[in-house]
Amino acid sequence: MVSDITFGQYYHGNSVLHRADPRIKLILTFAMIIVIFLCKNFFSLGLLAAFIILVTLLSKVPVRMILKSIKPVLIILAFTAILNIFYTHGGRTYFEWWKIAVTEKGVNTAVFTIIRIIILVVMSSLLTYTTTPTMLTDGLERILSPLKIFHIKVSSLAMMMTLALRFIPTLIEEIERIMNAQKARGADLESGGLITRAKALVPIFIPLMVSAFRRAYELALAMTCRCYTDGNGRTRMKQMKLKITDYVMLILCIAITAGVIVLNIFFEKVI
Amino acid sequence: MNPFLEIKNVSYSYMKNTAQQVNAVNNVSLGIDRGEMVGIIGHTGSGKSTLVSLFNGLLKPSLGTVYVDGKDIWENKETLRESRFNVGLCFQYPEYQLFEETVRKDIAFGPKNMKLDDAEIERRVLRAAELAGVKPKHLDVSPFDISGGEKRRAAIAGVMAMEPDMLVLDEPAAGLDPRGRSDLIEMIKQYRERTGSAVVLVSHSMEDIARATERVIVINNGEIALDGSVDYVFAHEEELKSMGLNIPEVTKVFHRLKELGFDVPPDVYSVDRAVDILTSLAERRKSDGK
Repeated sequence: MVSDITFGQYYHGNSVLHRADPRIKLILTFAMIIVIFLCKNFFSLGLLAAFIILVTLLSKVPVRMILKSIKPVLIILAFTAILNIFYTHGGRTYFEWWKIAVTEKGVNTAVFTIIRIIILVVMSSLLTYTTTPTMLTDGLERILSPLKIFHIKVSSLAMMMTLALRFIPTLIEEIERIMNAQKARGADLESGGLITRAKALVPIFIPLMVSAFRRAYELALAMTCRCYTDGNGRTRMKQMKLKITDYVMLILCIAITAGVIVLNIFFEKVI
Repeated sequence: MNPFLEIKNVSYSYMKNTAQQVNAVNNVSLGIDRGEMVGIIGHTGSGKSTLVSLFNGLLKPSLGTVYVDGKDIWENKETLRESRFNVGLCFQYPEYQLFEETVRKDIAFGPKNMKLDDAEIERRVLRAAELAGVKPKHLDVSPFDISGGEKRRAAIAGVMAMEPDMLVLDEPAAGLDPRGRSDLIEMIKQYRERTGSAVVLVSHSMEDIARATERVIVINNGEIALDGSVDYVFAHEEELKSMGLNIPEVTKVFHRLKELGFDVPPDVYSVDRAVDILTSLAERRKSDGK
């Protein structure tokens, strides 16, 4: 049951997107998320949607996986749609009963918001589908490296993130082991009310904490033994270098942004 | 009479119905009687740990049935719960499961889950501590303040305190020094003599198995490869070798000696016994020769 949790949902592949520089991917994803909120009518949103479909095809991540990433936000989608339909009023009225009215503007806003959220989710999951957690932290470290002038130890932060990610599977394994050991002593984890269940977790969490600290000390010692200081001046096995495809992606995103702005100006505002 | 633990045509696969499906246990049937002392041996990844997790229902077999004391443990919640107490399972490195404030409370965790009254819990804790060799002065100390070997004993006592009819120990001596190893094996032998409970010892150390058990089950690729007395199993040296297992070094020496024409028995598994036999042999030769 614990092992069902998927983390850092990387989808193994070798597409253009997989090979792209993580820094570019991070920055562009972030920039395009802002662009989603720049869209003011269905034309500019449509352009962005077309862009996302193109990127999805390029990533070669199966559509099934993309849909899986939308699944958790379905409730939020339904909720915002209902709120928007009933609380936004304006334009033609399609349907009216007692105090409830469905208007043109309400429907438009609901559809618009749904598409927006879907694009947002797909875009950010594409980032994690095509970039390994290590690549992500590496990229983040490089992007944040200018913060060094404020005496923030970016390399240490990045190392901490990498280590945290590295130990998630280990800890999941550990939890499973401890759970089995306590179950073998008759621990009942599956029945009882909320308080009983919370109490039943104590025999799991204390050994887990103890072993997490033990591992941390051992790891710190091992790192010290290999002369790790704080990562400053450390060189990398994989040097990050922008390739032509990265520039192409950058230009494509700039073009899309320009397109969105132009379409916003030329067509009527919907939202 | 049916054996105490009986498993019939049991299979277990990890990540079932996926591309990475691993058949850890493959159509295994076996029975273990009350009071028996059994060793389960197999190299890493042979499925021996998975097999013992099926004994008390920690894993549900993909196929087949597990009977404890004549009852199908997966029949209902009650039978499953009972099997946890009837088959005491102690995992590898059990010291990592300690969590209570004192050793006494930790040993009492199992009996408490059995909903016994306080006097009975106390009796069981003291008895288990004594059987497992936990020093009385350690009972009221935090389990995190005692040494590694003592932690191991405290954790094993925690399983013994449930007073199971069958105690299963997965690599109980892993990571201990030779002295700690032999002390622990000795403790397990005595536990069985004093309580009459069945003991299953899972290990990949042939020496430990030979020293403690009467019957050996060899697991290879999730199947039972050999099942019989220690002498029977160790006589299959070549087969064991092909499974990545090795008989004790001392036994190998004696097999070779026998090949060379010396009058020595083939069932020598401990250095102590080897020394005895060789000295008597040497003395006999001396008196014969002169």
